[in-house]
Amino acid sequence: MKPGLIDYIILATYFLYVLAIGWLVKRRVKTGVQFLTSGHSIPVWVTSLAFIATNLGAQEVIGMVASGAKYGMLTCNFYWLGAVPGMIILGVFMMPFYYGSRARSAPEYLKLRFDEKTRGFNAITFAVMTIFSSGISMYALGLLFQLVLGWSFANSVLLSAAIVLVYTYLGGLTSAIYNEVLQFFLIVLGFAPLSIMAVMKAGGWAGVTARTTAWMAGHSFAQNPDVMMHTWKYMGHASSNLMGVEWFGMLFGLGWVLGCSYWCCNFLVVQRAMAANSMAASRLTPLIASIPKMVMPVVVIAPGLAAIALHQMNVPGILVPKGNTYNYNLVLTNLMAQFYPSGLLGVGLTALFASFMSGMAGNVTAFNTVFTYDIYQSYIRKNASDAHYFKVGRITTVVGVLLSIGAAYWAAQSNNIMDFLQLVFGFVNAPLFATFLLGMFWKRTTGHGAFAGLVVGEIVATLTLGLSRAEGTGGWFGVVHVFPSAMAQNFWIAILAFAACFIFTVLVSLATAPKPVAELENLVYGYTKMPVEDHLPWYKRPGPLAVIVGIACILFNLWFW
Amino acid sequence: MDDLRVPIGSFFVILGVMLLIAYFFVTASAPLASPRVNLWCGLAMLVFGAIMLWLARRGKAS
Repeated sequence: MKPGLIDYIILATYFLYVLAIGWLVKRRVKTGVQFLTSGHSIPVWVTSLAFIATNLGAQEVIGMVASGAKYGMLTCNFYWLGAVPGMIILGVFMMPFYYGSRARSAPEYLKLRFDEKTRGFNAITFAVMTIFSSGISMYALGLLFQLVLGWSFANSVLLSAAIVLVYTYLGGLTSAIYNEVLQFFLIVLGFAPLSIMAVMKAGGWAGVTARTTAWMAGHSFAQNPDVMMHTWKYMGHASSNLMGVEWFGMLFGLGWVLGCSYWCCNFLVVQRAMAANSMAASRLTPLIASIPKMVMPVVVIAPGLAAIALHQMNVPGILVPKGNTYNYNLVLTNLMAQFYPSGLLGVGLTALFASFMSGMAGNVTAFNTVFTYDIYQSYIRKNASDAHYFKVGRITTVVGVLLSIGAAYWAAQSNNIMDFLQLVFGFVNAPLFATFLLGMFWKRTTGHGAFAGLVVGEIVATLTLGLSRAEGTGGWFGVVHVFPSAMAQNFWIAILAFAACFIFTVLVSLATAPKPVAELENLVYGYTKMPVEDHLPWYKRPGPLAVIVGIACILFNLWFW
Repeated sequence: MDDLRVPIGSFFVILGVMLLIAYFFVTASAPLASPRVNLWCGLAMLVFGAIMLWLARRGKAS
């Protein structure tokens, strides 16, 4: 793949636009609150698209194409089970408390609802995690460009980090969100042609079905050759599908625990909904976002399936061997090399940069809000002026980017560390969903209960990982159980961590003194004036929209059953 | 900045024009690409960008 002059011009135009948006937004951002939280000022169509764009990082795009090639339609479970239900729960049930409490961050909600130690625990784990995840994705991007284009690792990492730094430094959260909308359109319009051309070349959807079936029959999965074309059909037993997960682990581990803990409790995405300009808009944000999310597999999973079909047609250079398996992570860029001539290639590369930047800017803006308000303001300097926190927020932006670059270089030093961190990030948030759920819907939950539940949840997660083994991961304290796949292990760790957190939160809450009712206002169901939206037309109300989105999601599950 | 649709619209108009330039003046190809892919994608982006700009103008007028 060799980009020409026009491709570089397209990439440069994009960089100019991103910086210009940051510069234009800067004039509107005059206070620390505006810089760090956008001051509840952003229209709903913007927050909705930013809501999914921030999750649509480069690793997500590359990883979903890779999973599409490796697991086929099963990958859709990450959208129709692991995302849409969580987004509906956030919009319908949880947003009234996040938005109504006027908390500036998810950890701050925990402070208002519970106590300082619960907030501190959450804020610190979150801050550490965002730095490492943005470092890891920076590393992945640098490595990919080095491998595919021969660009220097340092140059692509530093250039993209510098651009993200400039526009988040100038305009803060508003600038990140506005750019995420541009990035969203660029990602969709930049990768959709690839999906369309690859599927057409593979003989349309019928061709993809026939060829992936032939591929499976000829390879590892002769007993269920159509396994790549179904989401649920072979979920009865772990050994009958490619992911090595059975329906219970999938449904509860991915759908209930991991999906909801990510979409409802991860401040990275929740922050976008909190920036909306009204309570109704904040509740609609995840619901509207779930519509494009639901059809996103067309752009990111279909190309993976088409890649297998093309490989089956003996098209070289798409699915390349790696050890005794294939290098699925290169499928996206290999397809681009085959289908994108100079011109469109520039758009595709720009879309890759855009996806990386949206993910990284999300991490940076969430990190600086949590650090400034939940760590600096609560432990280092209380009661300073807004101008002071504005300054701290800006400095934190610079420090956050520098730390991410450091993390990227550290990941480059040791692949084991990176694999380990990704493994841990897979479930470290799992107990949180129990904490927020009980906090918002059970008034008896206490601060001690929430904190004990979180700590026990993390301990149980660590123990499960240490006592079980799957595909070479875990089992450092001895092997009590062997999981059929690393994914099954991940889902079951999440289930157990969630259950432990739930049970301990309830038990310790019952044994400790409840929080006075007067302090629960706007934080707990029953003591919060639920928003009245009867005067709005039905399509602007969360209820009807949630029902429609929910039914559509069920239909997608049945369609590709 | 008042309306995000203006930068998004103008960006895709420029992108569309560049793809048309690539189609007419750059003789580049990829192994499996359809020969007119830059033309079709360029037109699609041009139309998308124009719709965004039109929406922004309409929003301003009202």
